[in-house]
Amino acid sequence: MATTNASITISSDITTNPITISKSMVMHKFKSNVGLEETTGLQAKKFAAQTAVVIVENTEGTAAKASKVYIRNTGTSNEDFFYVALNASAAAAATTETIGKLYGGDWMLFPWAATAATSHDITVAPSTTDAMTLEFMVFQE
Amino acid sequence: MATTTATVGITSADLTPGMALGISATTTLYQTGTTTGLELLDMGVGKLTQASGADALAEALGTADTSNYVYICNNSTDVEQFIKIGIHDTLIGNLGSGEWLFMPWNMGDADAEINIEAEASGTIPYEYAIFKSTFTLPAKT
Repeated sequence: MATTNASITISSDITTNPITISKSMVMHKFKSNVGLEETTGLQAKKFAAQTAVVIVENTEGTAAKASKVYIRNTGTSNEDFFYVALNASAAAAATTETIGKLYGGDWMLFPWAATAATSHDITVAPSTTDAMTLEFMVFQE
Repeated sequence: MATTTATVGITSADLTPGMALGISATTTLYQTGTTTGLELLDMGVGKLTQASGADALAEALGTADTSNYVYICNNSTDVEQFIKIGIHDTLIGNLGSGEWLFMPWNMGDADAEINIEAEASGTIPYEYAIFKSTFTLPAKT
């Protein structure tokens, strides 16, 4: 059994009294205390077109199993970003589901339900034709 | 101007044998396409029961296609209890006991609410924080 730990610290002075959120978790199999044992490894991909691209196909996961996905825009731009979506396209307002936008330096770590359907492909679309790089990694049962 | 930072650390000594994993990244959360820090925050704690079905944790009441970030943690210690996380009709993933997520949320359209649903019996405590670029109060009924 492998042990993979993930921690998050959020610090903010939005409120008058600054807040800090600090949490750690061990990535476990679905409804289990056994650690996740598989990974795609950390990948990096450079983009230079605005075309939506699937970075993780639903077939790489298993329905009703635990999967976690880490994605980070390695750039520094506060204007250019990647849309991240579940489905074959990644548009701002879509009938399919766009999750959000990752600007330069932004990261996300979320549980992924691989439902064995293209509706759950993980898709990204750059906002610019300027070169941008994503790094991403899938942790799964 | 407020400053909000989010830092992630992912480590594993044995997920990929002979190649210890160590990911560390920090991002500063800005308003859409700017270097102005976010200034709107919605945070709290709650309890979910399976009987309540899917509930909207946050409606997409801000400006569509903006920068917003969501943190949710399932504070249950029962491995049988998980929270389904979705955006409108799309299941994003299952958040197991003790697990957290952090992701961008662009409020792609008015039907892009963040919804949560408890699975398995009992009560699931959770906490959340949503850092927003914009927010519109719901209309008076």
